Amino acid sequence: MNLLLNQKAWMLGLVLTTSQAIPVQTMATEATNDVTEVQQAKQVTGRVSDSQGALVGATVLEKGTQNGTVTDMNGRFVLNVKQGATLVISYVGYVAQELKATANLSNIILKEDGHVVNEVVVIGYGTQRREAVTGSVANIGGDKLNQIAASNAAQALQGRVAGVQMTQTSTKPGEEMQIRIRGQRSLSASNDPLIVLDGIPFMGQLSDINPAGIKSMDILKDASATAIYGSRGANGVVIITTEKGSQGAPAKVSYNGYMNIKTVFHKYPMMDGPTYAKFRKYAGKYVNSADESDDTDTDWQDLYYKTGIGHSHDVSVAGGTNGGSYSFGAGYYHDESVVPTEQYNRVSVRGNFDQKVGEWFRFGLNTNTSYRKNEGRSDIGGVISQSPLSSPYDENGNIKRFIALQTDDKSVLTRDVAESLGDLWVNENKGIGTYNTLFGEVKCPWIDGLSYRINIGLNFRSSKNGNFTGTGVLNKDENAVNGGGISENQTRNWAVENLITFDRTFAEKHNVNVVGMYSAEQTTYESTGASAQEIPSDLFMYYALDKALGQANLNGYNYWQSGLMSWMGRVMYSYDNKYMASVALRSDASSRLAKGHQWHTYPAFSAGWNIAREEFMQDYKWIDNLKLRVGYGETSNQAISPYSTLGGLAIRNYNFGDTYKAGYYVNALPNTELGWEYSKTWNFGLDFSLFNGRLSGSFEYYIQKTSDILLDISMPSTSGVSGFTGNIGKTENKGWEFSLNGVILDNKNGWNWEAGINIYQNRNKLTALASGADRDEANRWFVGYPIDVIYDYEYDGLWNAEDVYEVTLADGTKTTNLDILEPGGNLGMIKVKYNDDVLDDKGVPTRKIGPDDRRIQSMEPDLLGGFNSTVTYKNFDFTVIGAFQIGGKVISAIHGSNGYVNMLTGRRGQLDVDYWTEDNTGAKYPKPAGAGDTDNAKYASTLAYFNGGYLKVRAITLGYDFAKLQPVKNLGISRLRLYATVQNPFVLFSPYTNESGLDPETNSWANENTAVGYSEYSGKHKVPIIGYNTPSTRNFLFGLNVTF
Amino acid sequence: MKTKNIKYILAAGLLSCGLTATFTSCSDVLDEQPRSQFDTTFFTTKTGIEGGLTSLYAHLRYFYGNGYYLNSCETGTDEYTYAESGSGQNFTSLDETNQGAITSEVCDAGNLWGTAFANINTASGVIENGAAAGISDALLAEAYFFRAFDYFLLVQTFGGVPLDLGAGELKFNTSTVRSSVRNTVPEVYKAIFADLEKAIADLPENPRLTGSVTKNVARLYLSKAYLTFAWWLENPRNIPTYPECERKDLNGLSATQYYQKAYDMALEAINNPGPYKLQPTFYDVNIATNDRNSEIMLYADHNEDEKYGNGGAGYGWGNGASPENFAHWFECWNYTQLQAKLASDPTKTLAPVQREAVQALGRPWTRMAPVANAFMAGGVWEDAVKAIDSRYDATFTLRYYTNWDKSGNKEAAVLGANGSQIKPNEVFLSWVPESEDSKITYNADNGGGFNLGEMAGRPDFVVAVNHISRKKYPINWKLGIYRTDNNGGLGSKVNGGNPRPFNIAKFSEFYLIAAEAAVKGAKGQKTAYDLVNVLRERAGKQTFSVNDNVTVSVDNSAAMVAATPTTITIDYILDERSREFWGEGYRWFDLVRTQEWEHRAKTYKIAGKGAGDITLETFTRTIPAGHYLRPIPQGQLDGMEMSDEEKVNYQNPAYRN
Repeated sequence: MNLLLNQKAWMLGLVLTTSQAIPVQTMATEATNDVTEVQQAKQVTGRVSDSQGALVGATVLEKGTQNGTVTDMNGRFVLNVKQGATLVISYVGYVAQELKATANLSNIILKEDGHVVNEVVVIGYGTQRREAVTGSVANIGGDKLNQIAASNAAQALQGRVAGVQMTQTSTKPGEEMQIRIRGQRSLSASNDPLIVLDGIPFMGQLSDINPAGIKSMDILKDASATAIYGSRGANGVVIITTEKGSQGAPAKVSYNGYMNIKTVFHKYPMMDGPTYAKFRKYAGKYVNSADESDDTDTDWQDLYYKTGIGHSHDVSVAGGTNGGSYSFGAGYYHDESVVPTEQYNRVSVRGNFDQKVGEWFRFGLNTNTSYRKNEGRSDIGGVISQSPLSSPYDENGNIKRFIALQTDDKSVLTRDVAESLGDLWVNENKGIGTYNTLFGEVKCPWIDGLSYRINIGLNFRSSKNGNFTGTGVLNKDENAVNGGGISENQTRNWAVENLITFDRTFAEKHNVNVVGMYSAEQTTYESTGASAQEIPSDLFMYYALDKALGQANLNGYNYWQSGLMSWMGRVMYSYDNKYMASVALRSDASSRLAKGHQWHTYPAFSAGWNIAREEFMQDYKWIDNLKLRVGYGETSNQAISPYSTLGGLAIRNYNFGDTYKAGYYVNALPNTELGWEYSKTWNFGLDFSLFNGRLSGSFEYYIQKTSDILLDISMPSTSGVSGFTGNIGKTENKGWEFSLNGVILDNKNGWNWEAGINIYQNRNKLTALASGADRDEANRWFVGYPIDVIYDYEYDGLWNAEDVYEVTLADGTKTTNLDILEPGGNLGMIKVKYNDDVLDDKGVPTRKIGPDDRRIQSMEPDLLGGFNSTVTYKNFDFTVIGAFQIGGKVISAIHGSNGYVNMLTGRRGQLDVDYWTEDNTGAKYPKPAGAGDTDNAKYASTLAYFNGGYLKVRAITLGYDFAKLQPVKNLGISRLRLYATVQNPFVLFSPYTNESGLDPETNSWANENTAVGYSEYSGKHKVPIIGYNTPSTRNFLFGLNVTF
Repeated sequence: MKTKNIKYILAAGLLSCGLTATFTSCSDVLDEQPRSQFDTTFFTTKTGIEGGLTSLYAHLRYFYGNGYYLNSCETGTDEYTYAESGSGQNFTSLDETNQGAITSEVCDAGNLWGTAFANINTASGVIENGAAAGISDALLAEAYFFRAFDYFLLVQTFGGVPLDLGAGELKFNTSTVRSSVRNTVPEVYKAIFADLEKAIADLPENPRLTGSVTKNVARLYLSKAYLTFAWWLENPRNIPTYPECERKDLNGLSATQYYQKAYDMALEAINNPGPYKLQPTFYDVNIATNDRNSEIMLYADHNEDEKYGNGGAGYGWGNGASPENFAHWFECWNYTQLQAKLASDPTKTLAPVQREAVQALGRPWTRMAPVANAFMAGGVWEDAVKAIDSRYDATFTLRYYTNWDKSGNKEAAVLGANGSQIKPNEVFLSWVPESEDSKITYNADNGGGFNLGEMAGRPDFVVAVNHISRKKYPINWKLGIYRTDNNGGLGSKVNGGNPRPFNIAKFSEFYLIAAEAAVKGAKGQKTAYDLVNVLRERAGKQTFSVNDNVTVSVDNSAAMVAATPTTITIDYILDERSREFWGEGYRWFDLVRTQEWEHRAKTYKIAGKGAGDITLETFTRTIPAGHYLRPIPQGQLDGMEMSDEEKVNYQNPAYRN
């Protein structure tokens, strides 16, 4: 009898997690060995829920017997009982119910007994009830996630979870986000978290996963939780669980779809014709070219952008079989940019199947496969830097090929031009990603609670890029030769995990879960590429580079392979849901490190105390739950490039006349000592739930210290070698996170109102650098400061007449402080802060402003967070979701010297900024064509730094569910919701937006979308910036959810 | 029950298959085998070391042909000043006219510093690993040559530099030490002399590959190094050195002895020229179609192959970065801004001289302008020189031929001077000698606000060279771009790097080195007068006029010799060096070596930045003695792990804050 029950529990575990260990809340029964056949006369199915929705893991027992089961992820259960039996449905923290076993019990609602415990959390190699979790784990369900329509889950997750910062790195369709969990700790190695898809580490990109198919995401934040992922978990872990069917449940068919209209959030604020004409005259550096005239006023952006249309469709079927369950679905996603030719298309299919084989075995498969195509060729920089005084049309109204400015010939690019070019101007990326997990499981027939499971992951991702520029396209020379290129890459990955699990409850109150694992995985990457010029026919595009008559080159060839082997053991114990503890030990070996330094072992433990369950708390009925948690763990990071221990040669090819030779020189030294970078984290947490769950939340504090940081160390020129990879330096992250959810109105006259907010702060700093130095200016690393800082002069207004005073030098000559500090300077030029020691005691500057006056400027936000609020009334729902940042700095390349659109010289299109003139001395921007470098004003780089704070409403949705209407219900439809959403409607409190109107979120990596890339913020430790990428958009969505 | 059992067996079989697969496939998971990149062990193989030798040549592209490096070698001398678009700190500060100071951050000489040490290390690696890998002495000699070559450039530019890169003096560095100690100038020269002597002994007479180094290339650098060190020992104007040290040769020789050694070495090379010889005319030395000619001894090679000839940088659009050869952009003014009225409708204009990938034009960056006084009475290109010296014609683009037809514009003619019409491929603008200035009427509107002049009887617009401005000036024709794929158009790759080699050393310099040594007292079979006249006689011969674009037959050799002063001075040597090597990057070194920088470049004249500016202004330079050494780049100081005091002391004294 007991056995039967446990068997069901096992199934449930599979259904719940598709992952590995199965710590399900089983029935508290004495273990007996009487295996008697139960007379099975009748099958009942049902669904158990509480006021919040499905109740997972509730026990359903045939009264007076040991025959029972527990509810699945959807609250459903199937049980064979005798005719006329009574069911007892119970769940910890709820009042048990007894019901007659009729055939269909689809709406059993349990009442809470004051202690809310309904959430199951995926913790890696198993699941746990929220109540028993001792690590720092955040969970967001698929329904919440999909409140924001997005091409990938990271976008949807932005601002939703405390401590998880999603940063936009490109505004082009189909691009990825940067994910940072509790800040960054590594300088050269990756700071990306591990993503686990249906149990197996995920080597693809988040955009390969259709967010509509995601059932839940669980984010492991502290080391006591992530340590079981060892070296992979140092930057946190995001566990994605896709939709599953439930055993025995009837098939459920769903459709989710929407249509999306995208408009430009705000154009890049360029000067219009009259403003520019006036500006250019004042600057006095350039005059109108033959193609310009003061009475022309062309808005090149208006001529270029369009309205983007997108849509998404997702169909899925889920249900159960006898002894198994299934779920499959397909999605199509189409996203067009406001920039002509730019679009992203994705077709995805997913499937999930598991089946019991006999008494002891179970097998299953998860698969997620998608095909994607990313297209588009754009030149926003070219468009915005066109002169507004030039017209794209000649006197006959035909479009010109190019505009000749005084020093630049600029091709004419408008919407019509871009669209008419079609296949002549192409850049497209096509690829497939397929991520598959197979598992097999066997239960030990002799020891109750012991089982073995194997997970095999087989993953593949490919990408093929093709680009082509036809003859004369966007070139002043109509006959400029055409050219194309291709590049292809593929990543193959396999992973095998062997798990032994023992899960059992003793003496009703002692719950023990033990997991042991041995795993191995290997990833192989290959890429190839070629480019060629003078392809005989433009029709060939990039498909027949071998026919090229001109120069052809092979390029982009790369190969690497890296592997990881691991042992892991974990014991979780809880007593009466009051005291809980978890201890884990993991050993990892990585091929990327030097022999002899490959293995590393790290421990983790955590403990929890649910105070609310103590006797002395019984008087405080308004406290449902009050849990203290503490955790400690070590993790490590080996995410450096493969072969880093070996050093390397750089290639410098050369022609001796027409004899071609390959040249090599040593540019990276080998390091036979290269070992792990590791982190130690303490986490302290407090979870609470009050007033019958009306108010709940948690507060966490953590401190993480990372040492032996893997670093590409650059050497001074005199070393003769550019650098090497070593274990150098230490960093620290400290922070706190607070999240609060409340039910403000609970069915008051039909109104429900829930709201949630999360706030967090992370303080990152470098605590030590190589051999005790406290600064590494070449790499912008300073001990005591965050990893990412601006190291530059600091803007301090403009030089105005009142700032200048006469000084007398020792030799009696008279000059001014300006002439000493800024030789060759002028009024209206940028003033930067300088060190006090520049001035002698009489206030006479002793030297000019120079490199010593550069300042370390933190970019770190003071606070980050998000909020959401949902109001429902009858069949209506209304949701607002937003995110905010207080403080911090953002780099806007377009305002600085790298963008070349704020040159303040009148050479080409110019940002519409408030510039200094003799009549406008209070301006922020310097005098046009004043003291400067070659193309920009002196210290123009300082103009790029803005306060990064903002509050952004990300989505407002209004929905109406027709399924609650009886006629619709009668059709068997359980959900029929229509909704409209406006995304990115407005930004508040942003100094950047206030000045420029632009979206304050970053849109590019520092080496992209500027005239000159920021080399100092690029490299391995890249920083996102605002460049002239595809403009941010404001989107209007109309969607439909149907389930029947 | 039976079927159940089979099911179990199958299932168990499946699981154990998986288990077995795990353990068997894992054995090599932790091993690494790179397939697409080199690890450092490759540098000990024969192929790797030969590749090391190739990279010694390829490294030349990282400063020769780099416009910014050229800027550091020319701007601020008696040849060049900053031009209209050269308003950046790196241009104005080098001009020394107190418009921004030379600092560790803005000095373009840093391009050399950033490249040379990696090359020195590679040379040391070739030398250390080469013998074991079976590399011949002749090949190793190329490494000795390049190590000395880089040290010679460094010591002239920065003073004493470190001989120990981390693993010991002149050793291949594989250590990760991030500190550095500078050697003194005599210590560096001692190493240079030893390496070059070894190179001369082992190098072949003839190059093993087009443009590879030979005995005579090494002789050129050794004679120049002797000469330079002799000046340093003599120190006639008491210029400070750094790190401070006694002006004493470590081999115990005197300045006089080194002048003599320089002379002897140069003469030895002239008498044993090997494959090198002077070209018949100066034009032949510099015309693109005759690149890699017998007079050119060393160059940073390029050709139209993108992968090898341009180091993979691509020829479509250049951003002005090594390894492209983009130096010619800098000495090229923006002639494309000229505008001409259509003959058919004078209310409309077109650009008569458009950006074209030809040697006379090219991409105009307007960063560096020649000083006007050089073209005026008393200058190296004064009218008397222009009249007989073919080097004037073969150094500057003086005439600007119209080319709008090549852009596809069918316009028949534009209006020229004096109401005439100018057709495609006719001269639109000419630079004329100072003596013609009085006959010119300037009109501010001509050329679209360019204040071009008109001369009676001439259809083209003219400007006399005494109106050279920062905006318009003669282009350095010698460095110009040349492509074979213009196909009758303007050339779609005009904005890319130059696929021509950038010339570094010429056979002609032997004559000027020997002549300079002779002026300083060296004795031998030829006098300074004899030596300079070899080049002057050649300069008198002209077979093609670049600016008239016609074949000519001119021989002014006798007049050239007649114009040579009988007593040759250092000043005259410097004049001749200017005429021979104008704007090619020799100048700063010449002035610093001879300590004549302040003397020769103290003032200069040029008109303003505006298109219409033609009035000369005089600028006075302040050239402190400390500036005879360039600043150590900030990146070096930032990258070193040393105390602040040590870092301050590492910097040359004139640049310490």
